[in-house]
Amino acid sequence: MGEVIVITSGKGGVGKTTTTANIGTALAALGYKVVLVDTDIGLRNLDVVLGLENRIVYDIVDVTHGHCRMKQALIKDKRFEGLHLLPAAQTKDKTAVTPDQMKELCRDLKKEFDYVIIDCPAGIEQGFKNAIAGAEKAVVVTTPEVSAVRDADRIIGLLEAAELHDPKLIVNRIRPLMVKKGDMMSIEDIIDILAIDLLGVVPEDEMIVVTTNKGEPAVLDNNSRAGQAYRNMARRITGEDVPLMDLQDDTGFINRLKKLIGFK
Amino acid sequence: MLKKAKGSKSKKLLVKKETEVLIPDEMGEKVTDPDSVEIESRIEFVEEAAPMPVEKAAASLARNRDPWQQNFADENTILIKRTVRSGQCIQFDGSVVVLGDVNPGSEIIASGNIVVMGALRGVVHAGATGNEEATVAAFKLQPTQLRIANHITRAPDGEYLAPDYPEIARIKDGVVVIEVYQLGQDRQTKIC
Amino acid sequence: MLDFLLRVFGRETSSSKNVAKERLRLVLVHDRADMSPQLLQELKEDLIKVISNYMEIDENALEVNLDTSDNSVALVANIPIIRMKRSSNRAEKIG
Repeated sequence: MGEVIVITSGKGGVGKTTTTANIGTALAALGYKVVLVDTDIGLRNLDVVLGLENRIVYDIVDVTHGHCRMKQALIKDKRFEGLHLLPAAQTKDKTAVTPDQMKELCRDLKKEFDYVIIDCPAGIEQGFKNAIAGAEKAVVVTTPEVSAVRDADRIIGLLEAAELHDPKLIVNRIRPLMVKKGDMMSIEDIIDILAIDLLGVVPEDEMIVVTTNKGEPAVLDNNSRAGQAYRNMARRITGEDVPLMDLQDDTGFINRLKKLIGFK
Repeated sequence: MLKKAKGSKSKKLLVKKETEVLIPDEMGEKVTDPDSVEIESRIEFVEEAAPMPVEKAAASLARNRDPWQQNFADENTILIKRTVRSGQCIQFDGSVVVLGDVNPGSEIIASGNIVVMGALRGVVHAGATGNEEATVAAFKLQPTQLRIANHITRAPDGEYLAPDYPEIARIKDGVVVIEVYQLGQDRQTKIC
Repeated sequence: MLDFLLRVFGRETSSSKNVAKERLRLVLVHDRADMSPQLLQELKEDLIKVISNYMEIDENALEVNLDTSDNSVALVANIPIIRMKRSSNRAEKIG
C-alpha cells in the first residue's frame, strides 16, 4: 500500500510543480513505483515540466468520469520505468472533479504505486480542496519572501483543519549569499515563524530554468545543486536520514541548519 | 425594355435593376423611357458603385444551382478568426479553419478537416468521427499531438527544427504522413 | 529568543530580512486571529453560560468580536447587564 503526498503552497510560482516533478523523478530513480497527479485542472503544467505533453490522450477528468480506464490515462515517463503521470485536463475547470472522486482516485492509485504525489494548484479554493482530499501527508513549499511565507502559514492552518497533521516544509529558491548579508530571511527565520518540520532547502539554481525548458527534471543533472537538494528530499521521504547539503562554506550556518533538521 | 437590357452587359442589367428600385419615387414616368433610363443608370452606376459587388454576388449566390459546386457543400465548415489559446477547445461536426494560431494547451476536434492559417502548436483531431480521409494543414505544423480518425502521432522527442513552409498531414497506407503542402490541382481538391 | 532580541536591537536591525520577519510576524498575528464564525458562536455561548452564574445579561444584545488593531489582537465583548445576582446560585442559571 502506497503513500499519498500532496505538494502545496497557497501562493503561485513558488515551485510546486518543479518540486513535484523533481521529487517524483528522484523517487523513481531510487527504484520506487511513483505516480504524479496533476490536479491543476485548466492550468496544467506538470506534463510540460516532465516533457510528456505530447503523449496525453486521456486525463484525470476522463478517469473520474469513467470515460476511460485508469491505465489508459496514465502516461509512462520516457526515462524511468517506475514513473507515471496522470495529467490534468486543460479544457475543463476545477469543478469537473469533486473531493470525493479524488479520494476514490487516490485509493485506487496507492494500491498500484509506492508513492502517489499530488501537485496542488495555487489558491485555497476547489482545486486545493480536491488536491488534499485524498492525501495522507502534506508538503508545503515556500520561498523566503513575506508573501509566500504568509500564504504558507494560511495553508498550514487549512491543512490542520482538514486533519492533515504535521506537514513538512520545503524552502525553495534560497540565496545563501543574500541570507548571509541579512537581505533574505534564513531557514531559521522561516521555521521560527511557521513552526513546522523541514523536509529540505533548495538553493536558487539557474539550471532549473534550463532543465524546465528541455522538459527534463533537474534531478537528472548531477551538477545541479537544486537537483541534489531534491534527491536528498526524496531519500528523506523514504525514511532515510540525510543531512542538509552545504549551501555555502559558512559552517556555523550549516551547523545551525543541521540542528534544525535534527528531528527524524 | 427588358429585351434591350438583355442585350447589354450584365453589369448594366444589374444597374438597371437598381435604378428601377430606387428611382420611381423621384423620377416618376421618366423610368419608362428607355433612353433616359440608360442615362440615369450610368449616373447611378457611379454613385452606387460601393454596394454593387455585394448585390451582384448575393443575386448570383441565390441563383446558384451549379451541380459541380454542390459537391463541395456536403460538409459544414466554421471559420475561427482569432488565436485559439491554451485551455480553449473547439469541437465541431465538420471542418474547422482558423485564421490565427493554435497555441499549446488548446484543442481542436473536428469530424472533417482542420486548416490553420498560422502556427499549429496545440492538439488537433481531424476526422474525429472516424473519417480517415480527413487532413490537417497549417502554415507551421508543429502540433503537440496530431490525431486523424484513430491514428495518434506526436513530434519526435528531442529538439528538431520545424520547417517554415506549410505542411499537410493525412493518412497514407495506414500511417499518418506529413508532407509539404503544395499548390496543385489534385491536392487542392482533396483539401476542399 | 535572546538571539532574536539581539538581532532586533543589535547591529542587524536595519537589514531587510529583519524588517521582513517583523512584518510577517505582525501580519500572521492578524491572519491567525481570523476565527471562524462557528467558533466565535461557541465562545459566545460559553461566555453567556459562565457570566449568567453571576449576573443576568441581555443575551440578544451581547457582542463578541476580535478586534485587530495595528499591533495587537484583542477579544472585545460588549455584555449589557440587566441585573446583578445576590449570590452565585448556579441552579438559577439561564441556559
